[in-house]
Amino acid sequence: MSDGEASDDAPWWELKDYARHAACLIAARGGDKEALNALVVDLSPLVWHVARGQGLERTIAEDVVQTVWMTLLRNLNAVAEPRALARWLIITTRREASRVRGGRDRIEPLADETIEKLRSEDGLPEEETLRSDRDRVLWQAFNRLNRKCQELLRLTVLAGRAEYDHVAEQLMMPRGSIGPTRGRCINTLRGFLSEEGGMS
Amino acid sequence: MNPTERPPGRGPAGEESAMKLGLPTEDERLLAELSALLDLADPMPDDLTVRTRFALELEGLDFEVATWKRDHELVGVRGTTAPNTITFTVGDLTVMVSLAPAGNGNRFDGWLVPGGPHAIEVRVQGEDSRTTNADEGGRFALEDVPKGITQIVVHLVEQSGQRARTVVTPSIML
Repeated sequence: MSDGEASDDAPWWELKDYARHAACLIAARGGDKEALNALVVDLSPLVWHVARGQGLERTIAEDVVQTVWMTLLRNLNAVAEPRALARWLIITTRREASRVRGGRDRIEPLADETIEKLRSEDGLPEEETLRSDRDRVLWQAFNRLNRKCQELLRLTVLAGRAEYDHVAEQLMMPRGSIGPTRGRCINTLRGFLSEEGGMS
Repeated sequence: MNPTERPPGRGPAGEESAMKLGLPTEDERLLAELSALLDLADPMPDDLTVRTRFALELEGLDFEVATWKRDHELVGVRGTTAPNTITFTVGDLTVMVSLAPAGNGNRFDGWLVPGGPHAIEVRVQGEDSRTTNADEGGRFALEDVPKGITQIVVHLVEQSGQRARTVVTPSIML
């Protein structure tokens, strides 16, 4: 039992995690706009990082985040398991990201030149905010990783965060056996870090 | 090498604290660093939840969400100015709108393809909606649309004159 389940009768604003999501969703079905807004505030960062992990540019990720929530609004009654709302959001985000990419490019495999192109298009949007050399070097190294590695490490990082602890398994859902791949991605990141002149 | 992979599955109660993924310590440390960096280098835009909440203030739940066409040559460039042409699509419908400064806001000149006398609603946060109808060819115009967080809603009209589908866009800042 998670600590979000103090009482089934508690209002959503007193709940956490699964229980809060479920209570908000049920309240939203009844027309409670504040409950829907609470979900947007709680879970948009998760949707954002999943969308960015799909390799979408920031502006497109912004559209996808909104589209996912509008899709939820249309389907408030169709989400079968209110307690699994985060999982529904993650799946819907990945699906929408894939749809938006359409025929423009495929998720994998990525040719090296494609990666170079993606890097130059995507840029390092917030690089100026990175004050320390270490941050800059690590961010550059991370952006040199292929998309699959970037997504895997983003999801790994999210799954390791306390606030997403209850959806960690869903975040790692995409791959059956990610362990060896993740190990290779981390090692590649280390290699890039060394090349960029940073200590790994 | 990364020999000590353990399955990522952890119970919802979270027996392990943050960044305890069962990886070698130096990997955990690197990922913890990356976690902090992601929030610094790639944060969700500050206004995105505000824009999302605005986009969700729709009347009626029977709508299709359109996709903004983002020009790859323009997006991702820092310090972009407001666009002067915006385009969105859903299914076989494409809507193009050119914007020209007018008064304190913009004049919208739009074109729906395929055309028809569809109803156009432009929602701007904190303002009354601006509405108009396209002509048979799908052209429409709106004077003086205020700037701000903007969402376009198209009520498609069938040939019988009855309303068919409703199409909505994600909100954007204009």
